Amino acid sequence: MLSFLAGRLTMGLLTVFVTTILVTLLIHLVPGDPVQIMYAQSQGTTPEQMEEVRKSLGLDKPIPVQYFMFVGRLLEGDLGYTIRGGQPVLDVILQRLPNTIVLAVAAMAIAILIGVPIGFFAAYKQGTIWDVTLMITAIAGISMPHFWLGLILLFYFAVDLGWLPVSGGGPLNLVLPAVTLGLSNAAIFARLTRSSMIDVLSQDFVQTAIAKGLPQKLVLRRHVLRAGLIPIITMMGLQFAFMMGGAIVVENIFSWNGVGRMAVEAIFQRDYPIIQGFILTFAVVVVIVSIMLDAVYAFIDPRIRRS
Amino acid sequence: MGEITVNTPGLSAESTQASPGFWRRLVRTPNGFIGLLIVTILIVCAFGADFLAPYNPTKMGSGPRFLPPGSDFLLGTDEFGRDMLSRILYGSRLTLLIGAVAVGISLTAGMLLGMVAAYCRGWIETVLMRSADILFSFTETLIALACVAVLGPSLQNAVLAVSIAGIPFYARTCYSASLVEVSKPYFEASIAAGAGPFRMVFHHLLPNVLPTMIVVATLGVSTAILAAAGLSFLGLGAQPPTPEWGYMLAGSRDYINRAPWLMTIPGIAIAITVLGFNLLGDGFRTALDPKERDR
Repeated sequence: MLSFLAGRLTMGLLTVFVTTILVTLLIHLVPGDPVQIMYAQSQGTTPEQMEEVRKSLGLDKPIPVQYFMFVGRLLEGDLGYTIRGGQPVLDVILQRLPNTIVLAVAAMAIAILIGVPIGFFAAYKQGTIWDVTLMITAIAGISMPHFWLGLILLFYFAVDLGWLPVSGGGPLNLVLPAVTLGLSNAAIFARLTRSSMIDVLSQDFVQTAIAKGLPQKLVLRRHVLRAGLIPIITMMGLQFAFMMGGAIVVENIFSWNGVGRMAVEAIFQRDYPIIQGFILTFAVVVVIVSIMLDAVYAFIDPRIRRS
Repeated sequence: MGEITVNTPGLSAESTQASPGFWRRLVRTPNGFIGLLIVTILIVCAFGADFLAPYNPTKMGSGPRFLPPGSDFLLGTDEFGRDMLSRILYGSRLTLLIGAVAVGISLTAGMLLGMVAAYCRGWIETVLMRSADILFSFTETLIALACVAVLGPSLQNAVLAVSIAGIPFYARTCYSASLVEVSKPYFEASIAAGAGPFRMVFHHLLPNVLPTMIVVATLGVSTAILAAAGLSFLGLGAQPPTPEWGYMLAGSRDYINRAPWLMTIPGIAIAITVLGFNLLGDGFRTALDPKERDR
């Protein structure tokens, strides 16, 4: 189990390491002079000021030197300063990151609570009209753009019925974005659960349990569900990354004040330090979550726990 | 050249092309039939937009502003009095083009990387596949967003961003499909018979992984269309007055009360298109997979 976790941890650190390189290179891949592009929208910036920014970003030095400067500052918790407003990037991100994580976790909970039971039921009723209907619904759900689903929910529940607020940061405001993100991922969980359960249902130990006369409910709960959930836990890490990605769009629909909305604003404003910080934060969060899930997985699956 | 070719049952290109039953099997599955129907209609709309569209899609004031769907303007008009039906029809052309170009680029690059990794093994395999794993864990949305941040918002850049973002996925899928082939006896036999690396990859590996990749690519068209529409929705893709569906949806937000059809129609268009490719991909898989064939 320890060697399994050590392997995952190495892979996670490698991911963060590669991200720091990509993030340093990002600003150099911009066609043209990044500093000029950054200030193209604000008038009255003198060439001297631009030169100063270039120096403070370290753009006047060779790329490897820039990389080590970047990592050096990173280790001190310094992600640089925003172009607009000159605030520390880390503060700006940390202020909004909890909102995104709350949204992603809430959406994940909704996706699992809806998707897993549906998938389990469809697998149990495999081949019947229930199964077919549920799986067609799931395909339709996957095909539905979440930004469209968000707009529809916004229209009905916030504008038309007036039950929920259109935008803002309170707990009630969380409902619509979380449901939007959760529903579109529930379909993925339903399909995943179904195929995983069907795999387990056809296995020998399940057949044996039924043959030796155990009550069906007991077999389903103790043998099928338990074994069938393991692949779903391994998929949860990837799904969480998808949720974070989906949050970028959903946050913009509902004006939810998270890092996704911040990133899109930063792209419009060409605020590269924020974009760099966002990508790095995204990678670190995804790595931490997937290592945590790997630990859960290693603990649950006896084949790994005892190895 | 004493060349040995061994046919793998079911999934090899030769058997799928040779068997006339493929299309029949495809239309017999409900998913394949509906998917094929939707995609065919889309292609007709895309190619026939010039003849089918009653108005110019970008001309303002073709009719009054905010006209609900009716007899003169079947799908109504938008905030500039542009005909929605014409915009949707021309939008289908854009959408199919976006899907085809994006998947074409990421599929080609991904397959090359995947096949090379599976054929070469050793450190090349480790470097290529570890990189693909790392990029894959970032998710396509983040990679696409980073690319747009670098290149700047425009439809071309959004398509390029979606293409780059898709590469790790196709590389991984093609790699695992290639690994299966590489371990088969015919592969070793061909090497023993003196086939060079180029011939091995393009003449033996490629045709055998292609059917799997076609299934994945068909499903991938819907992912690419969704991703590009999402970028346009955020304002990072298509710019006005392009009749792109995602961009049209974004614009509808301001008139959500006054003209709800501006929101419903492009949304339905995207959803049906994506559904069509998802169903077609599913149908391809069933028609190609011998295990699924008899169900």
